[in-house]
Amino acid sequence: MHEVGIMESAMSLVEQHAAGRERSRVSRVVLRVGVLAGVDLYALRFAFDVVSAGTLAEGADFEVEEVPVTAYCLGCEREFSGVDGDFVFACPDCGDFSGEVRRGRELELSRIELS
Amino acid sequence: MCRECGCADRVPFGVKVLSVFAPKLLQSAARESAGPATVEIHTPLLAKNDDAAERNRAVFRDRKMLVLNLISSPGSGKTELLSKTMDGFDEKAAVLVGDLETDNDARRIHRPGVPVAQITTGTACHLDAEMIARGMEGLDLDGVRVLFIENVGNLVCPAEFDLGEKIRVVLLSVTEGEDKPLKYPPIFKSADLVLLTKTDVAGALGFDRQAALSNIARVAPQAEVIELSARSGEGLDAWYGFLRKQLVGNPEAAPA
Repeated sequence: MHEVGIMESAMSLVEQHAAGRERSRVSRVVLRVGVLAGVDLYALRFAFDVVSAGTLAEGADFEVEEVPVTAYCLGCEREFSGVDGDFVFACPDCGDFSGEVRRGRELELSRIELS
Repeated sequence: MCRECGCADRVPFGVKVLSVFAPKLLQSAARESAGPATVEIHTPLLAKNDDAAERNRAVFRDRKMLVLNLISSPGSGKTELLSKTMDGFDEKAAVLVGDLETDNDARRIHRPGVPVAQITTGTACHLDAEMIARGMEGLDLDGVRVLFIENVGNLVCPAEFDLGEKIRVVLLSVTEGEDKPLKYPPIFKSADLVLLTKTDVAGALGFDRQAALSNIARVAPQAEVIELSARSGEGLDAWYGFLRKQLVGNPEAAPA
C-alpha cells in the first residue's frame, strides 16, 4: 500500500510524544496492524528503517502486533475468528459467509518506550 | 508498494502530515509510568484522512447529496460507465475524476449541465478525503443529487482511504479474470456494490460467470452485485435502479 507514508505519520506521532521528555530516546515503537489493513509488514519494517533514521527513534526496536480478523455472523448473532490467511469468512456454526468485519482493519501507533 | 508508486509524496496538495490533528494529541491520554517509560498512544495512522472524510460527510449531508466512490483496476470501465450514466440517469449528477495525469476522463464524461472536475494526483495512487474537499470547490453543486467519485485505477491503495462516501462501488470487468476478488480481498470486503462490467464480451473471453459470482459472494457477501455492459446498455437499468433506491432509502439524499 503506502507503507512509507504510513511510517511518516507514525514517526511524526512518535516525535510529538517523545520530544521534550526527560528520557526522549525511543527504544521501542509498537504498531497494531490488522490483517485486513492492507499493509505489508516487510515493507513496513523497511519503511521504519528508512524513515526513523535521524529521528529520536533511530535504532529503536520495531514491533508489530498483528490483529487477527474477527467477523460477525448475522444469522447466528455471534462473532467468530480463526479465519486468517484466507479472506473468506465462513461462520463455523452455519457456514454462511460473513462480510461484517468487527476487528482486523486496525492501523495504529500503539505505544512507544523511552529510555 | 508505494515505495515505487509514491503515495507518500502528495505533491499536488503539499499537505503536511498530521498537522490537523496535532492539537488533539496534546490532550490525549499519554501515560508515562515510573518503571520502563512506556507511552500509550493508540492513535490511528490514517486519522488525518478519517477526520477529513467526516468533514466531507457533513458537507454531503447538508447538501442532501448521495455520494458514491467508484474503485477498480485501470481499464475496468469506470469512465465509460459514468459517461453512459450521465446520458441515461435522470437525476442531476456531478463527477469528480481522479487520475495521475491528464483530464481525458473528465472530458469524456463531460456533458452540458453536468459539473465535472478532474483531480490530477501527480504521483499519488489513490484519492484522499482532502483532495475531494478541494475538488468540490471547483464544482457547482447546486441541485446536484448524486456525486460520483471516480477513484484512481488501483485495487489496493484506495481501500483504506475513506472519502466520506455513502456507497463504495467496486468494478470488476470480465477481462480481468474470475479470481480478482480472491486476489484483492480488502477492497472487495469494503464494497457496498460490486459491478461486473463489460459483460458484452464475456462470451468471447470464455468468462466463467458462475465462478466470478461465487468468488464475489464468498469474499464480499455484504455487497450487492449488478452485471452490466456500458457499451451494450445491458444491466444499466439495474444500476439506475440501485441509484434510485439509494436516493429514496437514504434520508440524507432526500430532496430538500
